[in-house]
Amino acid sequence: MSPAPIEPTLPGSLSSESSSLSGEKGQFANLRGVRWRINLGILPSSSSIDDIRRVTADSRRRYAGLRRRLLVEPHVPKDGSNSPDLVMDNPLSQNPDSMWGRFFRNAELEKMVDQDLSRLYPEHGSYFQTPGCQGMLRRILLLWCLRHPEYGYRQGMHELLAPLLFVLHVDVEHLSQVRKLYEDHFTDRFDDLSFHESDLTYNFDLKKFPDSLEDEIGCHGNAMKVGSLGELDPEIQTIVLLSDAYGAEGELGIVLSEKFMEHDAYCMFDALMSGARGAVAMADFFSPSPTGGSHTGLPPVIEASSALYHLLSIVDSSLHSHLVELGVEPQYFALRWLRVLFGREFSLEDLLIIWDEIFASDNSKLNKGVEDDTDSSFAIFNSPRGAFISAMAVSMILNLRSSLLATENATTCLQRLLNFPESINLKKLIEKAKSLRTIALEANSSNPYPSFRGAHERSKLSAVRGHSLSFDCNSPTTPLSLVPESYWEEKWRVLHKEEELKRGSSQKQVPTRKKGWSEKVRLHLSRTGSDPSHMKAEKGKKDPKSTVRRSLLEDLCRQLGSEEDIGEIVCNEVLDQKDPLHVEVEVEEQDANLNSFTCPADDSHLIGNTGSEENSSIFSASTSPLTNDHENDSEKSSIVSNSSLDENDDEPNNAEAFRSIPEDPPLPVSDPPEDISPKPETNNDSTGKQEAGLKERKHLSGKFQWFWKFGRNAAGEETSEKEGASEAAKSANRESNQGDTSGSSTSDEFSNSSVNSKGDAADQNMMSTLKNLGQSMLENIQVIESVFQQDRGQGGSLENFSKNVLVGKGQVTAMAALKELRKISNLLSEM
Amino acid sequence: MVLVLALGDLHIPHRAPDLPPKFKSMLVPGKIQHIICTGNLCIKEVHDYLKSLCPDMHVTRGEYDEDSRYLETKTLTIGQFKLGICHGHQVIPWGDLDSLAMLQRQLDVDILVTGHTHQFKAYKHEGGVVINPGSATGAYSSITYDVNPSFVLMDIDGLRVVVYVYELIDGEVKVDKIDFKKTATTNSAH
Repeated sequence: MSPAPIEPTLPGSLSSESSSLSGEKGQFANLRGVRWRINLGILPSSSSIDDIRRVTADSRRRYAGLRRRLLVEPHVPKDGSNSPDLVMDNPLSQNPDSMWGRFFRNAELEKMVDQDLSRLYPEHGSYFQTPGCQGMLRRILLLWCLRHPEYGYRQGMHELLAPLLFVLHVDVEHLSQVRKLYEDHFTDRFDDLSFHESDLTYNFDLKKFPDSLEDEIGCHGNAMKVGSLGELDPEIQTIVLLSDAYGAEGELGIVLSEKFMEHDAYCMFDALMSGARGAVAMADFFSPSPTGGSHTGLPPVIEASSALYHLLSIVDSSLHSHLVELGVEPQYFALRWLRVLFGREFSLEDLLIIWDEIFASDNSKLNKGVEDDTDSSFAIFNSPRGAFISAMAVSMILNLRSSLLATENATTCLQRLLNFPESINLKKLIEKAKSLRTIALEANSSNPYPSFRGAHERSKLSAVRGHSLSFDCNSPTTPLSLVPESYWEEKWRVLHKEEELKRGSSQKQVPTRKKGWSEKVRLHLSRTGSDPSHMKAEKGKKDPKSTVRRSLLEDLCRQLGSEEDIGEIVCNEVLDQKDPLHVEVEVEEQDANLNSFTCPADDSHLIGNTGSEENSSIFSASTSPLTNDHENDSEKSSIVSNSSLDENDDEPNNAEAFRSIPEDPPLPVSDPPEDISPKPETNNDSTGKQEAGLKERKHLSGKFQWFWKFGRNAAGEETSEKEGASEAAKSANRESNQGDTSGSSTSDEFSNSSVNSKGDAADQNMMSTLKNLGQSMLENIQVIESVFQQDRGQGGSLENFSKNVLVGKGQVTAMAALKELRKISNLLSEM
Repeated sequence: MVLVLALGDLHIPHRAPDLPPKFKSMLVPGKIQHIICTGNLCIKEVHDYLKSLCPDMHVTRGEYDEDSRYLETKTLTIGQFKLGICHGHQVIPWGDLDSLAMLQRQLDVDILVTGHTHQFKAYKHEGGVVINPGSATGAYSSITYDVNPSFVLMDIDGLRVVVYVYELIDGEVKVDKIDFKKTATTNSAH
């Protein structure tokens, strides 16, 4: 060995490492294996070296016992039984209890494990593909699976185990390096003495030995001449103590030991899988059946994926809605991420850093006041570690935000998610994850939302969280196809009836297309409601989800509409009253995502039903997707269904248009007043009033309220022109024929009319402008949707489509509509 | 842990319709690595059935076999052991140990598997083993009374072979076990 080169580097690196790290991480800063073992709960976190050694030794003994018991050698008579029952114990015995039966079962398991192991970490094959390492991994996995037959062996377990073993290996290497430097402390001088038989005098030996020793040291030229243990660096000191062959428990207690790497790795793996009585147990992710404590009855990994999406929806609802619209279910990519704790997404070195963070998070279950009867919380959020894992996943998704938003179909999205880029700023990712973790933990403790039943089918976990809306409506954001159907259908019908009544005459202009959108937008909404609802006109959504959503929106609209005379403050109340209503706005968006109707998927929805009445067009942007059933009724207020539209229509153009919208920076939340103010027509005094009211709600909901107010006002005072406009729009949509072209014209009309109607109460104006804005957006969307619907409609995907011509015109109009939408979104973003 | 199945003298369809059901239930694919068949199967269907249990099958020609391409004798090496197969009707007197030993020396094998007598026999002889798995179907034999269906399963592990004998006696499967150990260096003098 050439100590010379080592010397300058090692001590330097050691000391620098220790100094830099010890500050942050405390002891064992650069002994990852030990640190992880402490974090995973195997080793006590008390600092006594002896304790650590003892616990280590115990765990190793347990493993050795397990190994002896379970690794079966059939023809080695274990208990010296001389006359085994051969009828039972012969190799061909069908008896499952026979030794041979076990042997064959183990052999099968081993074959499965080997398949995976042979493909493990080929780029680090120099370590992982060596027979010794493979043998260790194989044995560990086999024993764990035999010990936990309910899980069996699942692909991915080997990838969880491999970094653990690697980390131990690194520690041992580190130890050997330190050993080279600090030989004196490691080797007991007397152990190496070779007593010459011939020498009779004791003294003579002693004299000889140190000479020879010093010669050796001298010739190496670098020996660290340290006197006592106390003079060493604390790090080195720890290492020495941990590896002292004469310490507590002797050799079995040497914490960094190559001989017992297998034992230690098994303990770590076991702790990781079982979660060490904490909240996050990796083994759960491999089990196909819901765990006992699950409220949702879903397999835990599905539940955790939903949790992920839930967190994403809180943090970045536009991206979330985009993904949801495309139909990218979280478990498609989250399964892999969660099951191997991001092992496949990062290189080994990066992964170790990430796992450092994950393990550093405590895994104890958070004590929540509300006990298990709430079906709200996600199990994965139940501990800081779980929260960090999901936060990490979300931060990874956010990292890919721009590329995800740019894609138009689910496959590409998934490709991007599954091929996580190599060169990433890991530190930033982790920092972000840490910040998200707090959100995750809060999210867990906030309102439960009941929509889990069947949630995993449409992971729309965009729960209306408390902060997003003032309403406590626990509208399940995930309109699950099954259960809510009847409930929401019913609601819809109720709503619809009301709306019918309210509606009165429906004018039939075709409001939809807003051509002059740009001006309108610039003018900030001089438009009066083009009814967004008409969007839905054509396309019936077969999707029950949309139904739900729509009905929710409709409900909301209805209610809003019905409370016209209330002041702004009422808005809030209104919002509150909307209990059952699901703010379609799926609002998790606390931003004006609302405004950015985003809902690319909305296309399909939009087309869904006709006419939401304009009163309800509350959120201008929201198009409440109405189901086919309702489409005829149409008069539904188009509710802004932002985000989380379940529809997965791939309508690239629309998608793009919408995508551009979400890309706008989220508008500041409670700024409705500001938004309103820029509008020229709006009377600022009225705005003031509104603002006051609005300001109360500082959430996104502010935005909504804002829209709702508009809707309400619009509904209330919007004169018949609005009504007419919306009606017209609706009818237009409904027929979906004239949709496009006429739409545009109508929208123009609407804008005009809306301008006219400005004259009303100041706040009404504002409301109306906003409403118009929203409506026009909706209309645009609807138009586009209808166009595309028609294009695709031939595919007969939706029932009530109006398969109307317009294909050619449709394209043109669609494009125009898209442009307008863009403008709208720009405008809104400005606000 | 190599499992080798040795059987023969089934005489299907001439003297027996099929293997006894209890034997058939025990013989499942996947457990056995090699099959050694002494001969007299006799038809191709039996050959195919045995092949389905294990793809590595070695058959020698019995006097009633309908496939004339089988060899008279065969040798193979499994683990540390050399095995030799012959039907046995060529070795006269039939079933005589010394004559079989001559054949063993000729083939230079550690384990010689022969049949024809329809009677299970296992001898330890001169550092080697001579095994007769009997008739797996219990087919009639002109030289043996009261033939019981039997076959042999050898578990070869390093220098040790454990011979499990499965016999169907009075409708019950009886299993017996014999251990043989090979001395490390046994080279026939030549």
